[in-house]
Amino acid sequence: MSNYLDLSIKEIHSALLKGETTPLELTKEAIKRAKANKDNAFECLCEEKALLKAEELSKVKVPEDKIMFGIPYVAKDNFSTKGIETTGGSDILKGYIPLFNATVINLLEENGAILIGKATLDELAMGGTGTTGHKGITFNPYDKTHTRLIGGSSCGSAVAVSDAIVPFALGSDTGDSVRKPASNAGLVGYKPTWGQISRFGLFPFAPSLDHVAYFTRSVEDAALMFNVLSKHDENDSTSSFKTRLDDYSKLDGNLKGKKFVVLKEVYDSITDKVIKDKFDLLLNKIKEGGSTVDFVEFGKKLLMAIYPSYIVISSAEATSNNANLDGIKFGPFYKGNTYQDVMMQARTKGFSPLIKRRFVIGSYSLMSENQEEVFKRAQKVRHLIVDRAKELYKKYDSIICPASPSIAPLVKGASNQLNDTYLIADNWLAIGNFGGFPSITIPLGFEDDMPFGVNITSDAFKDFEVFNEAFAMENILGYRDLSVLNFKDKEGK
Amino acid sequence: MKKVSKEVLKDAANRLMFDMSDEQYNILLDEFDVITKQLELMGEIEGIDKEDVMTFPFNCEVDFLREDEAATALTQDEVLSNAGSIKDGQIKLPKVIG
Repeated sequence: MSNYLDLSIKEIHSALLKGETTPLELTKEAIKRAKANKDNAFECLCEEKALLKAEELSKVKVPEDKIMFGIPYVAKDNFSTKGIETTGGSDILKGYIPLFNATVINLLEENGAILIGKATLDELAMGGTGTTGHKGITFNPYDKTHTRLIGGSSCGSAVAVSDAIVPFALGSDTGDSVRKPASNAGLVGYKPTWGQISRFGLFPFAPSLDHVAYFTRSVEDAALMFNVLSKHDENDSTSSFKTRLDDYSKLDGNLKGKKFVVLKEVYDSITDKVIKDKFDLLLNKIKEGGSTVDFVEFGKKLLMAIYPSYIVISSAEATSNNANLDGIKFGPFYKGNTYQDVMMQARTKGFSPLIKRRFVIGSYSLMSENQEEVFKRAQKVRHLIVDRAKELYKKYDSIICPASPSIAPLVKGASNQLNDTYLIADNWLAIGNFGGFPSITIPLGFEDDMPFGVNITSDAFKDFEVFNEAFAMENILGYRDLSVLNFKDKEGK
Repeated sequence: MKKVSKEVLKDAANRLMFDMSDEQYNILLDEFDVITKQLELMGEIEGIDKEDVMTFPFNCEVDFLREDEAATALTQDEVLSNAGSIKDGQIKLPKVIG
């Protein structure tokens, strides 16, 4: 069959409407490609269920108003899927079969999308490398030698879209877990305003920072997907009651009069010349399009404190959110003399060393002697950072900066975790989680045949504006529908 | 800030009902050299301790009470389906009270 899976959701929908392909053909091809992939992207494939559904959908007329009808997709393995083992990439949930679907899985199901598999992730989404899940390292499909990471925690979902297995995939984003891998994988990675997409059925890591997020290969697809997923959900107490627009995909790409701000310290802490040159070029183009761009200091001390405050808040919240993983209600059961014995064994054997170390950081932060100086101080830093961002949003429409200081990191690479590049340029995306701001990464360019991205973050509930600005930049950059199959044709543009 | 030692880290882990190997405690102890320096960065912000904490991005305001609707969420069999130790329709655990 032709390469329909390399196209956007919108284009595949159009091909389905014209009868050029069928849900069954698409699903068979997606499963074939998933099986051929060598990057360790899947926890499991749902071949039987997917083919059965595809066969049913192939018998009915494709509805014009259901853009995702008959299109295969992949979900990160921290979304509850009824009847399908869901481990969150952790041995402690080995064999756990959820009894219900996450709301987003239900919404996609109702709209006719076909789930073909569950994707790998850093264990319980707690990591940014795509190396800590119980299935091992997930590799970047742009590097066939398997020396580079794709990043995490939504590593398998990023592989599935960039390797043209499916046109979209669900992920989750607590610090940058969709938007950073999107940069490493040449994808659109979208994190909405907090509360705009229900988190019911998403395994909680740090609920004050967690967002359902996703990967697509075009900005328009990301907006179309938002139309489907952004609904109030009474099952999620943090789901927003705010009225949504009728259609988030009516994008005109008009940059005239837009005001962008570059965080000077983020820009200054990036040493990669190729990334900076390409970013400068983009800024010139958007200025030509009628926008203004200012370089403004955010406050270096605030930016340097993003990572420590993030690690404290997220690890502390994770300690209580994962307290239910006890080997009793679910998880492997180990016999013991007391219930404490049972829990100790299940948790000692079930969690990997890295996640335990993260939990210990959380537990340490919450000790009574440390609460003021560590945990509460982190929450105060968060407040100041969000206030500073909101101050900028009074004057500017959006923040724009490179999404990452480098191309995808090496598997065996080590970074200095105390320098500006790491603390600022590698971690600034967490501002979006601190404030619940809508934030999108799109492909910006290539270096050594590896992609890198640019990020746009705006004020809460400005999801449409973010899509529109990103759509304009996507038109300028020419990387729509990028995948490993076609990047050579687009790289030089 | 409580001084970090292997004993403190072990206590922190045990409070969360798990343990680690000696090797892992030593790795974490080394990691805390960097973590502690990172945590100190938060204290360098002028007037930080006078600020209010932020626990969520923004308040989710609800100005109505929903109707109570009786529903059965899960059956007993469903609840027990993921438990590793069951007896007579209940999750079986070691004795809690002697």
